[in-house]
Amino acid sequence: MVSKEEIEHVAKLMKIDLDDHAVHIDRVQKMIEYFDILDKAATESEEIIVNEQPLENLREDKYEPYKDKLIDKLKHYKEKFVRAPKMV
Amino acid sequence: MNLSISALEYIDAIKNGDFTIEEFVSKTLDHIKKVDGKLHAYLSVNEKALDQAKELDKKRKAKEKIGSCIGMPIAVKDNICVKDTKTTCASKMLEKYVAPFDATVIARLRKQDALFIGKTNLDEFAMGTTTEFSAYGPSKNPWNTQYVPGGSSGGSAVAVSALESIASLGSDTGGSVRNPASFCSIVGLKPTYGLVSRYGLISYANSIEQIGPMARTVKDTAFLLNIISGIDPNDNTTIDNHGEDYLKDIEAGIDGKKIGIISEMVGKGTDKEVSSATKKALSKFESLGAKCEEISLDMIDYSVASYYTITSTEAGSNLARYDNLRYGFDFDLEGYEFNSYIAKTRKNFGPEVTRRLIIGGFVPSAGHAGRYFLKALKVKSRLTKEINSAFKKVDFLVAPTVPILPFKFGEKLDDPVAMFLIDFNTVTANLTGKPAISVPFEMSNGLPIGIQIIADSMQEKSLFQAAYALESTTNLPKVPL
Repeated sequence: MVSKEEIEHVAKLMKIDLDDHAVHIDRVQKMIEYFDILDKAATESEEIIVNEQPLENLREDKYEPYKDKLIDKLKHYKEKFVRAPKMV
Repeated sequence: MNLSISALEYIDAIKNGDFTIEEFVSKTLDHIKKVDGKLHAYLSVNEKALDQAKELDKKRKAKEKIGSCIGMPIAVKDNICVKDTKTTCASKMLEKYVAPFDATVIARLRKQDALFIGKTNLDEFAMGTTTEFSAYGPSKNPWNTQYVPGGSSGGSAVAVSALESIASLGSDTGGSVRNPASFCSIVGLKPTYGLVSRYGLISYANSIEQIGPMARTVKDTAFLLNIISGIDPNDNTTIDNHGEDYLKDIEAGIDGKKIGIISEMVGKGTDKEVSSATKKALSKFESLGAKCEEISLDMIDYSVASYYTITSTEAGSNLARYDNLRYGFDFDLEGYEFNSYIAKTRKNFGPEVTRRLIIGGFVPSAGHAGRYFLKALKVKSRLTKEINSAFKKVDFLVAPTVPILPFKFGEKLDDPVAMFLIDFNTVTANLTGKPAISVPFEMSNGLPIGIQIIADSMQEKSLFQAAYALESTTNLPKVPL
């Protein structure tokens, strides 16, 4: 059983403001509870298969300039920097 | 001029000079004006469509070279980037985002002179199965507007079904092409993972999702796949299909093929109308010369939990980029500290996205990964082995696309587990990377039922042959508009 406090803690880490979202916690709890069914799957000995890409399959590591100046599409920028709120 | 023609019929008609591109596009736009207020397939309609149609007519008149789509109106799910066009993902978070580039699938269709008629509605960031989670209101099922059209590519399915476009593109992470195709009585394909480039598809769960074509006929779907498939330097997961022609030999039939019915997908939780349609489909396959047997895949019972664990985790990471600093909506930076600004702006995510993000932070976290995320990956690995050994015995696996009939708005909205189970028959193809197609098969009290056929990886060609064979046995009514 997952506690509401644990879920609230994770929500904060995910940068989700809970003032408006506390209402979702119950539902998230129900959703995670459904995942408990995974306990019954007999997969202890199973190895996780990951898709590995051989390096030679990747495209050539070559600089290709983008024709538009993408930074112009941003609202808050100065020279080549994105403007962000104060860190402290 | 009839708007209900197929893509291949459109091409013939234009070549024959039955009508011009402008005439067809103009009629399509009029029709959209007439019905879309009610159906809400589109989030935005291309205002330059008519001018673009005129340009293409001019090109034809001047005997210039023209691509194979010849101005065919195609609708695009609003999570696929079309250059200089709003791409909102049906989210308030991206309500002002204008894509600065074309997705690879769009670039390829554009090269063939397809005409992008509009961007279609979806569940926010493709998370949902009804379009009820769109920040801009749901789409309606044209067969009965009190019913959901399925999702998340609901708008793309409605557009094709209600004659608001000839074909469309959707994306399928756990059934998002096949589910609405089934609910709206059209064809929808989820290709083999890697067959179609995801470059320019706004990521939700990138390790399993694919862009897929949606159309009125199996042949149209194959025609679109011919254009959009193949290797792309901008997506390292793409596979070289050596220019396979999926239309060639599509009428080859399925005589002598072996079909496995997935027993877990026709058991409890399946509506009786859906069960009986599936039985009927199997007897059609047998009458076409195929042999059917039951196949059991043990891991399917855990597939939905595995699917939601994996997709939420990937969503948590993929959607971390929405901090409103680089793209987003107007929200002044002044007076906020960094983290509080981001948390504040992320309130623009709708409820389902918010919940999935919280889950996506939780299930892979240090204290819980062993119980959830790693378990989910093990289920995925085991399921893949199971389905691979099934394909040593049979050529195709068959099940109803959705275990239940289309349902009314609001019916499942408050029950997350009921919502999960709608995906029961579709997530397996995503978790295992296999291609799967939904073919419209029957109507029950005016509501469509689709049959899903799954094939082994890169076997789209034979998958289309089976789908075409099944489609040829059907005689479905016209959509009531």
